[in-house]
Parts: sequence; C-alpha cells; structure tokens
Amino acid sequence: MTERKYKADDYKSDFRPTWCPGCGNFAQWRAIRAALAELEIPPENVVLASGIGCSSHMPNFLNVYGMQTVHGRGIPVATGVRLANPKLTVLVYGGDGDIYGIGGNHFLHACRRNVDIITIVSNNFIYGLTTGQASPTSPVGTLTKTTPRGSIENPLNPVSLAISAGATFVARGFSGDAKHLQYIFKEAIQHRGFAFVDVFSPCITFNKNQTFDFFRARIYKIEETEHDKEDFHAALDLANQRFVRDHLPIGIFYQIENKTTYEERDFALNQGYIPAHEELGLSDEQIEIITKEFY
Amino acid sequence: MNQDISVRFVGSAGDGLVSLGWLFAKIIKKHNLNLVGFRSYQSVIRGGYNEYQLRFSDEKVYSVGEEADIIVLLNKQVASLHLPRVNENAKIVYDQDYVDLDELGYPSDIIEKLPIPMKELAKQVSKLSVIKNIVVFGALGHILGLDTELIKEVLEEQFGYKGKELVEVNFKALDLGIEFAKNNNWEKVSKKLKFEKGKQMVITGNEALALGLLTGGLKYYSGYPMTPATSIIHFLTRYLPKLGIIVKQTEDEIAAAGMAVGASYCGARAATGTSGGGFALMTEIVGMASIQEVPLVIINSMRAGPSTGMATKTEQADLFQAYGASQGDFPKIIIAPNDIEDAFNVGIESLELAEKYQMVVIVLMDLYLSEGIATVRKLNLKYKTKRYGILDKVDDDYLRYKITESGISPRTLPGTPKGMHFTGSSERNEKGFSIASTLAGLPETLPIRNAMVEKRARKLKQVAKEIPEPIFEGDKDADITLVSWGSTLNIVREARINLEEEGIKANHLHIKYILPFQKEKVKEILENAKEVLIIEQNFSGQMQRYICMQTAFDIKHHLRRYDGELIVPSQIVEKVKEIVKND
Repeated sequence: MTERKYKADDYKSDFRPTWCPGCGNFAQWRAIRAALAELEIPPENVVLASGIGCSSHMPNFLNVYGMQTVHGRGIPVATGVRLANPKLTVLVYGGDGDIYGIGGNHFLHACRRNVDIITIVSNNFIYGLTTGQASPTSPVGTLTKTTPRGSIENPLNPVSLAISAGATFVARGFSGDAKHLQYIFKEAIQHRGFAFVDVFSPCITFNKNQTFDFFRARIYKIEETEHDKEDFHAALDLANQRFVRDHLPIGIFYQIENKTTYEERDFALNQGYIPAHEELGLSDEQIEIITKEFY
Repeated sequence: MNQDISVRFVGSAGDGLVSLGWLFAKIIKKHNLNLVGFRSYQSVIRGGYNEYQLRFSDEKVYSVGEEADIIVLLNKQVASLHLPRVNENAKIVYDQDYVDLDELGYPSDIIEKLPIPMKELAKQVSKLSVIKNIVVFGALGHILGLDTELIKEVLEEQFGYKGKELVEVNFKALDLGIEFAKNNNWEKVSKKLKFEKGKQMVITGNEALALGLLTGGLKYYSGYPMTPATSIIHFLTRYLPKLGIIVKQTEDEIAAAGMAVGASYCGARAATGTSGGGFALMTEIVGMASIQEVPLVIINSMRAGPSTGMATKTEQADLFQAYGASQGDFPKIIIAPNDIEDAFNVGIESLELAEKYQMVVIVLMDLYLSEGIATVRKLNLKYKTKRYGILDKVDDDYLRYKITESGISPRTLPGTPKGMHFTGSSERNEKGFSIASTLAGLPETLPIRNAMVEKRARKLKQVAKEIPEPIFEGDKDADITLVSWGSTLNIVREARINLEEEGIKANHLHIKYILPFQKEKVKEILENAKEVLIIEQNFSGQMQRYICMQTAFDIKHHLRRYDGELIVPSQIVEKVKEIVKND
C-alpha cells in the first residue's frame, strides 16, 4: 500500500475534545478525519461549520477552517462558504436540536437546493448541553426535564424528511461502528450535491433509552440487503419502517447522481467564476451594461 | 428660492404610475434639468390611491416640494380622493370623458382646469391603454415648453427595443397631445427653465446603493423580499451573468445574513438587505459576525413600524434597533446615508470599512431614500477599491485573533495553507480556540477574555479617526441650529434656505455616522447654538435621545413626523418661526 498524503491526525487540532468520556461524538470525530485523509483533501481546503450544542464543539478539535456559528445556522453559513468558493470541501456538523429543531427551516431548504455540502447530524434524541430536554427526535413518552410526564409530541423522521425534501444523498450511521461511519462519510464527501448523514450517537449522560446497547440490538446494514439506493420509493419505504419495526437500518438509503446541483445552475458559478477570488470593482464593460437603464 | 416646477401624477396601482413617473423623469433629465421624485403609495397590487410627485429645476432641487404646479388625474376615483391636496394656481390635467371636476367640488376659482380626452385621443393611434400617458406627456411638454425632439429621443431609447412600430405609435400619441394643447390654447407655465441636452443619470436610492456596493467589490448578496429593500436584490439579479457575483434569495432573513457571513469568511465581499422586521431576525448574526470578526454589511431600509406597521410608508425609527442589535457588549458601525448620491458612496464605504476592521456595518436607509429618485452627476463607478488585512501566506506561529494595538488581527481565508483556525461564536484565545467551555473562568483565562473584549472595542476607535466630521452648514452665529440625520438632509437644507430668504438665520448640523459618533464635534456645535431644533421621522425622538446619551446635551425643540409621509420644508419653517418668535 502506498503511503497516504495525509494522516487522520493531520486534521486534529491542539484542542482536546471536551465531550464526556464515552460520548458518541468521538467516533464521528475520528471518522471525519479518517475519511478526509483517505480522500487526501488538504486540511486548508476544508471548511466545517457547526451550530450550538455538545456536538457543535467539533470544529474546535479539527485542524481545518472551522467555524462555530449560532444555534441552528451552520447550514446557511456553510452554504455561503460553498457558493463563494466552490473549490472548498464544506461540511456542516451539528446535533438533532440544532439542525432539526432551531435550524429545521434551513435543513429543509438545503435539501431542495442541492448545494454540494455535507451535513452530518449527531442525533442523540436529547438536548445534552442544556442538561437534558426533549429534542425533535425524542420518541413519545420520553422522560426529560421538560417532559417529566413523558414527551407528548411525535418525533421527526429526519431520513424520511430529507428524501422527501429532495436531498440527493441520504444516509444514517451509528457511533458504535466507526469503520462504517468512515465509509458513509467518505461516500457523502464524494457525492455531487447535498449529502445528509443522520448519526445515531448515544448521549451517555442524559439519555438512558437510546444507548449503545439499544442500537446494537436493533441496527442492520443496508448494503447487506437487496436495497436499491437509487429507487426513491424504496428509500422512502425503508426510511419510514423505522417507526413500525424495531429494526434500524444504517447505511445509504438514497443516492442519485443525475440531479443538477445548485452550483451547476448558478449563473456565476456555472461560468467558472469563484466569487471569493474575483477582481473587485466594475469593468468598463460592466459599468456600461448596468447603468444603461439610468440614462 | 430658485425657479422650479412640480408635477404630480395621481392614479391607482395598475395605472402604470411607476413607469409613468420614471419615463417622465427621463424626459426631464434629457433636458439637463435636476430632478427629485417620490412615489407615495399603498400596499395593494390593484386599485388604491397613489401619487408620484416630481420636482425639477435648472438649479439644485432639494425635495419633492409640497405644492404642485401641474396635477394629472388619471382616473375618477383618485380625482375624488385628491381634492383635499389641491393647491392654488394648480393646472389640473384630467380626462373630461371620465372626470367631472365641478361635480367633485374642485375649486374652479383658484385652479386652472385643463381637460383633455386622453383615452379617446390614445385610441386614435393604439389599442394599448397606457398610450394615454404619452398623450399626456405631449400636452405637458407643450405647457412646460419642452423640446419635442428630446422627448422623442427618450421614447425611442425606451421603446426602440420593442420595434419601430411601437416607437411610431408613441410619437403619434405625443404629437396628438401637443396638438391638442396648442389648439385649445393651453397656457404655458410662467416659470422658465434653461434646457440643453443632458447626459446625467436618474436613479433610485436603492439602485445607487447597489451600484456603490458593486463598485466597492460586492461579490455576494443575499436577501429575503421585504419592502423597501427588495429593489436592491431586483437590480443586482437583473445583470447577474455579467457580474460574476452570487445573488441569493433565501428562506428567511437569518439565512440571508448567515450565508453572507459564510461568503465573507471566504473573502467574497458580502452584503444583505432588509427592512426592520427582517433586521430583527438578523440580529443574532450581527453578534455572531462581530465576535467572529468576519466583515458584513447589513442594509436596513426603515419603514413605518412596529411589526408590519405600514409597509409602504417611511420612518426613521430603527435607530435603537440597529444600535442595540444583538446581545453583549461589542462595537459595530452604523451609517445613515444622506441622499441618493451619498447612498452610492456609502455602498463603497461600508464594504471597505467592514473588511478593513473585520466588523459589521449597518447601513440605515429608509423608504424615502430607497425608493425616491433623483438625477445624479457624480457617481465614481471607476473607483478601484483594494483588499485589507488578508494574508496569502502565514508561518507556523500564525494567530488569527492576535491581540494588536489597532485591534485588527491578521486574517487568512480558507484555502490558505497553515492558515487553518477556529472561528467561533464563543469567546476565544488568540488561536481562536474557545475559552467558553473547559477553560471558562480559570484564572489564566480571565485576562484573555478582557483582552478580547478590549481588542474588539479598539477597532471602533480606529474607525472614528478616519470618518469625516458631521456636516455643518450655514452661518455660525445663526438664530437657530437645525439638527437632522440620514435621508432628510436635503429637506432640512431647503427649509434653512427658505428661512434665510425670510430673514431668519439658521444653520444645520446633519448626522450621518451614528457609530462611531463624533460626540465632541456635535457637542461643541450644540453648546454654541442659540436654539436647537431637531427634525426626525419618528414619534419618540430617537436621535434626540441618542444625542443626549452621547453628549449629555438635551435638545429643547423637536419636530417629529410619524404619519408615514415625508416631513416637508414648510413644517420646519413654521416650527422655527414659532421658536424664534417666542425668544
């Protein structure tokens, strides 16, 4: 085997992760770095934007261009990054509260917009950093500090939502299987268009229901089945099964490569412009064109 | 006051009032006259009552004025609604086939009635109902003594692309209007203006601002539709493929501001625009970009609030919203452009200041400034801006948030090797790492927090050194000092000139830079004034209170308008007379 240009540790910053020992986020931290190294993407060409929450501390621990935004806004900020400089590999990382709750509107529109960014959601079914409240994915009956009599809201099915909303790559991973996560992240990064990965990532402190053991007993890998990931209806069926049966598929639910991306449709980007690098100001020709209507 | 003429078109939404006003402005402009125009309208798509007032002269024009020399009534319903606004000596142009002024109670003794069967005449040359407007232009051209050839040049420029036939139809309609006015012995207006063929532009405030932004290196603009900021995104979108920039309509204003931050972080000069309601949503991003020290320009074109308020009416009531935008204690820049030409300058200046100081710049426009039109002669579109504070290469000891004397830290853009760093919304150390989690409150962390707060604050002090002094015009020893801010500069200027003609000496202090605020200069001027009157388009005197906060000078007299319409010079003159008389 030839030596790789980058090692996973090249993407690690000097700041040690602050997550609880045993947190599911560690596996994702390792898998993201391993996937980037495997794809030989220079650290300086990677931007990872997060929001707020335990998982959103991620960019602190990575040696890339890391951005922590405000709660739920990782997706719009990352979209701006990608449109200004489409040469960059742009990732969004956040939790279920961050991206499905407060940032839900942006998630929905990112799916339909098909900008070539990768959104990874560390889904622990709870608000961890605020010490344990119900999240958009908490099942009915979940006992938390804000739902002491059990949650009375139906949970969101993010995988089903993303497929319906037009995402062109939809997958689910599990923090208990870092190798499999690395495979999914690698596929997501290579995908042309909006890639979304929901990750079952147990909160070992505040969630006593969706634990590592809980998931280990229920998950199975999609790639070991006959599932056709290019089949929209099959993908939707598979995504919706999660709530009827206790079998939880992980892997790639849906992926299509034949849909044009936002970048391919944008009138500046499809002409090869890189807005972040273009010369400032107006040329004589541009001045003539845009001021004609005022004369 | 110099010789000027005001024409007011009165119609409903759907009468084509916007294009009519715009076309008439182009005709006036072609005669090398100066012009100011403003459309007062309602938030309906069809029907309703709208006015488009245009005032022009061969000298400088300051405001759209209050009275009209010529009033054109475009339908019966508005003719009835317009009655209370009619002034003495107005020439009223109307279609007698549809409107009976006597029946509506128009005062025949003080006005001049000029009936013209505009619809019937238009039918002679075209089935298009809008052609009646061209017939009116012919008649107006006659009474204003305009040059028919110049009017035809404008019509050709405007409709030429639609084919020769349409141009011919327009010419015929124009000739019919001229003929009609001549044959019916319509008297020409008594005021005489000097004409020659002119080459200046006529433009709205939003468009001037957008041109300024482009000249200042704009590469990314995002927005969510909201009156009166929407025409900025309309203009930028129109020429997209030729500009090499990104213009993005987003799902909401939070996304609009957030995306602009992302683009700016990459080095694309970025701006976003909205009105007060959308700005409220953007405020969390104001704080975020400020602590991240990512440049960002936000345009807030103010309209009458609170909440939905009056969507098509003007107000200057978001001063404190801009000042207080986002939690915490941090500096920001707030600029309120003076007029349409200045909106262009602020477009350039805001992007440059944002990049140079890695700060948020809020541009406070308002509906009057955004949507008003004027002829402009001095837009420096060839201005060459440059980049500030971006490193192409860094060493291993690079610190993104290095504590410096100026407060400005070195910056690398994504793609720069060894320049990787963490840009957080949390407080951080010089490397960028968060000091808000495991390091928070540690004895070693406390001075870092202080140093970061102080570093950011120092930047505003630097900005203060480079911005010009406030505008101060008129005699130093005047009887009264008028104070205004933002879009009302020229309205107050006109009032000051009118006062002087009546023998009352007034001077005028105008605030454009709200943050940083030149408090020493402002204080000095106010303390030397005999009387001070502040003029604002809001209820509670936001600038008056702000000046008091900054200078401890409590201005005694105020004139505030908040019914949604523009303050007019005569209101100011009257108020000043009241104050001076009582002295």
